Amino acid sequence: MVKKSMQTIDKDIMNLAKIVGEKEILFKQADLLAYDCDGFTIHKHLPKAVVFPNSTKEVAEVVKYCNANQLPFLARGAGTGLSGGAIPLNGEVIISLVKMKRLLSVDLENRRAVVEPGFVNLKLTNSIADKGYYYAPDPSSQYACTIGGNVAENAGGAHCLKYGVTTNHILGLEVVMPSGEIIDISTNGVLDLPGYDLLGLLTGSEGTLGIVTKITVRILKNPEAKQTVLAYFDKVEDGSQAVSDIISSGIVPAALEMMDKIAIEGVESAAFPVGHPKDIEALLLIEVDGISVGITEQIKQILEVCKTRNVREVKVAQSEEERGRWWANRKTGFGAMGAISPDYLVQDGVIPRSRLPEVLARINKISEESGLRIANIFHAGDGNLHPLVLFDARQPGQTEKALAAGSECLRVCADVGGTITGEHGVGIEKREEMRFVFTEREIAAQTDIRDVFNPHNLLNAGKLFPSPGRCAEVKKEMKNGREAFA
Amino acid sequence: MITSNLLNDLQMFVSSERIVKAQNGDDFLGNSGRIVVKPESEEEITKILQYANLHNRKISIVAGGTKRGFGGTTEAEDIGVSLENFKGITEHAVGDMTLTVKSGTPFKELQAYLAQYNQKISLDPFYPERATIGGIIAANDSGPKRLGYGSARDAVIGFRIAYPDGSVIRSGGKVVKNVAGYDMNKLFIGSMGTIGVLTEVTLKLRPLPQYESVILLAFPDGHHEWLKSFAAELLDSMMEPIALELLSPTLSEDLTGHRNYTVAISFEDVETSVHYQEEFVKKISPPSVNVSILEKEKACQFWEQFYNIGPKVTETKETEATLKMGVVNLDVIRVIQECEYMSDVHHLKIEGHGGLGHGLCHVHLSGAAEDVKTAIGQLRKLATELNGYAVLKYLPLKLRQEITVWGERPSYFFWLEGIKEKIDPKKILNPGRFVGGI
Ligand SMILES: Cc1cc2nc3c(=O)[nH]c(=O)nc-3n(C[C@@H](O)[C@H](O)[C@@H](O)COP(=O)(O)OP(=O)(O)OC[C@H]3O[C@@H](n4cnc5c(N)ncnc54)[C@H](O)[C@@H]3O)c2cc1C
Ligand SMILES: Cc1cc2nc3c(=O)[nH]c(=O)nc-3n(C[C@H](O)[C@H](O)[C@H](O)COP(=O)(O)OP(=O)(O)OC[C@H]3O[C@@H](n4cnc5c(N)ncnc54)[C@H](O)[C@@H]3O)c2cc1C
Repeated sequence: MVKKSMQTIDKDIMNLAKIVGEKEILFKQADLLAYDCDGFTIHKHLPKAVVFPNSTKEVAEVVKYCNANQLPFLARGAGTGLSGGAIPLNGEVIISLVKMKRLLSVDLENRRAVVEPGFVNLKLTNSIADKGYYYAPDPSSQYACTIGGNVAENAGGAHCLKYGVTTNHILGLEVVMPSGEIIDISTNGVLDLPGYDLLGLLTGSEGTLGIVTKITVRILKNPEAKQTVLAYFDKVEDGSQAVSDIISSGIVPAALEMMDKIAIEGVESAAFPVGHPKDIEALLLIEVDGISVGITEQIKQILEVCKTRNVREVKVAQSEEERGRWWANRKTGFGAMGAISPDYLVQDGVIPRSRLPEVLARINKISEESGLRIANIFHAGDGNLHPLVLFDARQPGQTEKALAAGSECLRVCADVGGTITGEHGVGIEKREEMRFVFTEREIAAQTDIRDVFNPHNLLNAGKLFPSPGRCAEVKKEMKNGREAFA
Repeated sequence: MITSNLLNDLQMFVSSERIVKAQNGDDFLGNSGRIVVKPESEEEITKILQYANLHNRKISIVAGGTKRGFGGTTEAEDIGVSLENFKGITEHAVGDMTLTVKSGTPFKELQAYLAQYNQKISLDPFYPERATIGGIIAANDSGPKRLGYGSARDAVIGFRIAYPDGSVIRSGGKVVKNVAGYDMNKLFIGSMGTIGVLTEVTLKLRPLPQYESVILLAFPDGHHEWLKSFAAELLDSMMEPIALELLSPTLSEDLTGHRNYTVAISFEDVETSVHYQEEFVKKISPPSVNVSILEKEKACQFWEQFYNIGPKVTETKETEATLKMGVVNLDVIRVIQECEYMSDVHHLKIEGHGGLGHGLCHVHLSGAAEDVKTAIGQLRKLATELNGYAVLKYLPLKLRQEITVWGERPSYFFWLEGIKEKIDPKKILNPGRFVGGI
């Protein structure tokens, strides 16, 4: 079957099929549709082909082929990215890493594990849990997203407040450079290799500096004990103040999450309700972990802080099962918006924690002015907001309005000294907003670095950086992509 | 003649009392400047850079110089840019727990200031009195507590950087979580001042621990298997040591009075938790190991003394050298054993220590130049066998001209060179100071 159709197709597809095998390539329009966007569904574009290499060598050969033939290409993991990083804007050859999904080794004594890029985040923790270990970065999408994608986006998660984001847990990488050359940066886990920190630079480069084919990560021992607190506030200000008070009292919680009224309405209407009162303005989900005797004291302190900040009700999870339910309710928060709105747009700004009340008030104003409801779910401990703009794409003009409102939220974050993305990346979505936080010279300093690694810009072009020439084209694409939300 | 022109030119940017002409030829560490300027503002720094770039003048950045014996093969460049007058706190957001500071600020000063707010920078560099925050970050210096708190990579959230062309770039920002654009911060951490002068640093802070202690476990001679199984058991437990540092017998003797392989374990938490963890350590310690515990101030004093071991950055009769070695965690035991063994064979004073939970070792050597050289060669060989590396963090200039400081070029050197060429095409900043002569 495949053979027959192959004869009529173009030479690039044939040659790529030779590298990865005929079963490991998609090129028919119907098959390619599933790859025209990622978790950011506003832009769509068909790739030229999707290849599924099974080894680093195959990845390198595909990259070399693309170079020799001037074909644009990009890497793709699970496609859960929320900023459009894996969207083939230029009709790229997509190099999907999902078949490279082995756990290569676990070395408990030295606390490290080596995985292939397509290995799913949560699987790592599941594979070592019986020995009492886990992998700390826990994006809410962890049941699906790949560790390769996490490295590219420098993904965060609820527990990154205490333990850090992906970059703090990467010990080594094997990378296929945009030229096709394979490099090994400390995959044996030795720290501080002499030279500029390529590990740090590549992590979070959104798949524009190289394709990650092997990852050495740090794994951690489970904490001796964990306790989780849920606190309900009648006033957002009180909740925000409690956040600041907890942090400045010297406690470093493992997680400190907040949801506002609309977000609570969403999660309570969706698959994992836990019975939060619907008339409160804010809830905090706080987790502390560590040495058992130590956290008992911390919990006492947290409860006191909440009381001074007029908490309506505060409780400590009484069982692992209860804790699990609270977290499921929180971690499915984005999707839950689907229960109260036909469409929603996730934003991802960061602010200095102390500006929380002011910023929430300003987001409220944006909501009023745009006529769109905005729910707020966020990693309050590190000031990482996720305003969720609720809209209905079927209503003419609402998609544009939602995009504009999202962008305004980011403007507010930038205004108060924050930034436009804390974990989801710039991708396509926030290219223009880069100008909220960086000057032209600063952006040029970054594209200079891209030019060192990716001189022909064949790898994932058109992402991360604003390019004046593109504005018109992008607006057109946005319009075309509108059905995506229906 | 050239020097006097340069002197006149520099007076356009910096007042003359802050320009010093260096004395000739008595600098055994190198990395200084024939003319040393002491800018007081970022603007002055950028003007000097712009001038140097335009006129092809080479610059050596000196924050004062605890790391002047680290890299580089020239005695002096045209201009030494000293950052000793460029200090002070720009912004301390107490509630947000972030701090922005000028790069020439001494580390100890910062910690003392922050302590008033019950906060700290979670780094533990060597020579904290003299080392500046910019120098620590540019050289990526870290100590034993890296196990618990990470390194500059984990603490820095933003920079202002004066580029060689005199422009100023900000990287990162002032918030603790940020993925806008490339993580440019990482490029400058450990870059040895070869691609820009860090002018301002923004760090995230941590609360001071409520209580701390250091447990010292002195292992009897000839029981290395105990050492290894003890470390493995502690690392596999749920205890949360902030440091787990193995000291060579010679170093241990200096610091504790006991000539034994000694493990120093730090705990920092609320008091009950610290004591609980001490008990755990006692419980799993092999019977003939001597356990002593230093609480609170005594623990601080221990580390203070520790951070000041090693060469004193003055010329001595003996040749002094410091190696930083990176291996995989438990291989540290082999490195420290080798140190002890070599000190007997080569008649050298060798003091070594390394983190059993992070794999970084420091080895201080002192003795006749030839013996030091032989020992360096041997330690390098061991590092290679263990798939690690050995970098000379301190060595007099004369020896740096003979022995490569950074060891072999990494296989991806091409891209490192590409970064340097892109940012500093005229190679005016700290020329030859870094890996492969970058
Ligand atoms: C025990 C002891 C004794 C000493 N005795 C003397 C003495 O007798 N005479 C003397 O002159 N000094 C002496 N010093 C040096 C010490 O006084 C320096 O003042 C010290 O403050 C600062 O050096 P540093 O560690 O910050 O890094 P440095 O050694 O200044 O710098 C480390 C590296 O980073 C680079 N760098 C530094 N700052 C920046 C920046 N902001 N941006 C980019 N790159 C940068 C440097 O170029 C270098 O490559 C002594 C130090 C000690 C510990
Ligand atoms: C419901 C939901 C919740 C989420 N919650 C979080 C959260 O809490 N925290 C968070 O940080 N993110 C979150 N995300 C975003 C997303 O899951 C992360 O960005 C994730 O890291 C993407 O991984 P992926 O495998 O899906 O990558 P993809 O979406 O396939 O790709 C993302 C980018 O990485 C590049 N890439 C992928 N693999 C490689 C590779 N091997 N080498 C080089 N580049 C590569 C792609 O080119 C693309 O630019 C969420 C997403 C959803 C849908």
